[in-house]
Amino acid sequence: MKPLNYAILKHFTKVKEACADDVIEALKKEYGHFKALKKPAVIEAIMTGEANGLLEETRYDLDEKGELRVYYRAHEEGAATINNYIPD
Amino acid sequence: MDNTSSSANATAVAAKKQLSSNFFKKGVTVAILSGMFYGLYTAFMTLGMANGVWADWYGVNNAALSAFVITYMLGALGSALNDTLSALWCIGIAAFKGKLGDYFRTLKTKPGRVMIFAALLGGPIASTAYVVALQMAGSIVIPITALCPAIGAIMARILFKQKLTPRMLLGIAICFSAALMIGSTSMSADAPPNLLLGICIAFICAFGWGLEGCIAGYGTSMIDYEIGITIRQSTSGLSNLLILVPILAMLAGNIGLAPSLVVQAVTSGPAIIWFVVSGFFAVFAYSLWYKGNSMCGAALGMACNGAYSFWGPFFCWLVLGVFAGMEGWALPPIAWVAAIVMAFGILIIAMNPLDLFRRKEA
Repeated sequence: MKPLNYAILKHFTKVKEACADDVIEALKKEYGHFKALKKPAVIEAIMTGEANGLLEETRYDLDEKGELRVYYRAHEEGAATINNYIPD
Repeated sequence: MDNTSSSANATAVAAKKQLSSNFFKKGVTVAILSGMFYGLYTAFMTLGMANGVWADWYGVNNAALSAFVITYMLGALGSALNDTLSALWCIGIAAFKGKLGDYFRTLKTKPGRVMIFAALLGGPIASTAYVVALQMAGSIVIPITALCPAIGAIMARILFKQKLTPRMLLGIAICFSAALMIGSTSMSADAPPNLLLGICIAFICAFGWGLEGCIAGYGTSMIDYEIGITIRQSTSGLSNLLILVPILAMLAGNIGLAPSLVVQAVTSGPAIIWFVVSGFFAVFAYSLWYKGNSMCGAALGMACNGAYSFWGPFFCWLVLGVFAGMEGWALPPIAWVAAIVMAFGILIIAMNPLDLFRRKEA
């Protein structure tokens, strides 16, 4: 089992793009009992990854509840860095 | 596009703008708070090192400690106690937030090892230099240690090929001129005898922290900041306590001095209580520094954190001068001016000041 922050970043190397809800859904099974697996904390972790050049925003819209939903992806260099520091 | 979808689109654009703006504001706030907590931890650690058994060691010296022990070993001991107690606070906070498992898991990984290396640079080396410099020359060394963003920028250029523009070089020059202004106060008649040496040692500290900031920044983009700080403080506290203090005791010619002084310091109630407080503030001084750097970039993060050149002397004056009634904590006016100039220089290094206005408009 990886630390939660690693798992969040690593998720983006496995999918084309994802939003915070997608990440929570994907990690719920393994990390559901983690207090830090909450939407605001996950959004902050993703945006921190973005600020450090690991992830980039792809698009955004409003979900069915009218809440903002931002999608991100790991570009080639970001994915390479993530995979270098966090092997499978 | 019909009216409904265009209004939904406008709402999404506004919400996205709000999200980005909130993230940026939080990053800046966190980085500024880190500088304030830095000043607070400095003041309370210095207060701890002025009370209980420390008052004798640095004062009458009934314990008959040598000059070497008083100058170097006590500095390392103060730093070791502060960081170890801080590590205990960190572990408690991590446990409360359910992050203790991730702490142990992170330790075994590559970013975890990068964090340990950065902690060794910033801990045993820089923190001890900081305490020794503070003891020798007083809070006047704090603005010098605030040169660490400048050193971080240079090291990042050498190690990670990051950019170093003419604007950044100008900022570095401003910082050095401010350091010279502070150095000029050592010429005055009432300067502490070790002022100049203390200032030199403060530069070692600035180097260690600059390097720590540039290396740890690489690790914290992946590690949760609360886990990052727990790794930092436990590495730093334990290596100070179990390696550095005994080495210094050996250099002083009596290895037995290490456990003896540690026990005396830990059991000295009037002193240790202030270390518990300083250790608590140190948690936020460093964790918010890492978090601020990772949220708004190391350049801006370190510039905001660099405001500790004001908060350090400010809280030393407030806690030690006003609250504890100790003399000698008021700074000469030129030091205040130099601190302001230095903070301005740090800002210039870290960012184009015009960006502040551009960001506001965005």
